[in-house]
Amino acid sequence: MQPAPASPIATFAARAVMLAVVWWMLTVGDPSAWGFGAVVIALVAALSVLLFPPSIHRLRPLGLLQFMAYFLGHSVIAGVDVARRLLTPSLPIKPGEITLSLRLPEGGPRWLLANTLSLMPGTLSVHLEENQLTVHCLDTSDAIEPGVRQAEFQVARAFGITLDPPEGVRA
Amino acid sequence: MFDGLVIAVQLVLLVAGCVFFALGSLGLFRFPDTLTRIHALTKADNLGLGFIVLALLPLAPSFAAGFKTLLIWVVALAASATSAHLVARAVRGNTSGGPRTEDDDG
Repeated sequence: MQPAPASPIATFAARAVMLAVVWWMLTVGDPSAWGFGAVVIALVAALSVLLFPPSIHRLRPLGLLQFMAYFLGHSVIAGVDVARRLLTPSLPIKPGEITLSLRLPEGGPRWLLANTLSLMPGTLSVHLEENQLTVHCLDTSDAIEPGVRQAEFQVARAFGITLDPPEGVRA
Repeated sequence: MFDGLVIAVQLVLLVAGCVFFALGSLGLFRFPDTLTRIHALTKADNLGLGFIVLALLPLAPSFAAGFKTLLIWVVALAASATSAHLVARAVRGNTSGGPRTEDDDG
């Protein structure tokens, strides 16, 4: 049961609202900036609808909040993990790569996962082709796949997507 | 009293942020190749900038200014993740797509 993409007008409106919020932040709420801002927001929103047409995958507010909480927590783990390895005299790393089959649909969700993984503990997205994601690992003796699957689950929930059971991994 | 506590927390966060930035740079020297160095830079700088942004939030003169500070962190994260991926892909491209081997002419 695939939902239909939003209409271009609804997408334009939603993106214009988002851009207006960003403009408000950028101009630190200066009221005199709104005249110019309104023109820029309309142009950028129109251009974004042309370049990135409405998608069937939309972020869900609750899922996005849960994703952000997960992201913040794991950012700390990732930073501390790298720091610990760097400060250990024996430099405990064992670099390598694994390739996994993603269950996320292409487009926004896969893109968000690949970028998220680059900031999560021990993983770095190297290559994404179709549903095959190659991840460079700082330490291949760690369990990499559970971490990737957890990130995948978080991204799926942010987009309101239900994932099929895992297909397995090939090294 | 409360002000003093806020300043103390800000100090700790600022120092922690700078320490993580320094560690990210240390990674450039200690880690052996391009990909592992990217690991150090992206993760440590993400956290370092996050701590510094948190420390600066109480100083923001308005809500909009506070959100602007947070926006800087979000945009820096997006740039960091994207450039890390592009550099990693470029490095991998040199070895004809496969894992590095000694007899690979590229």
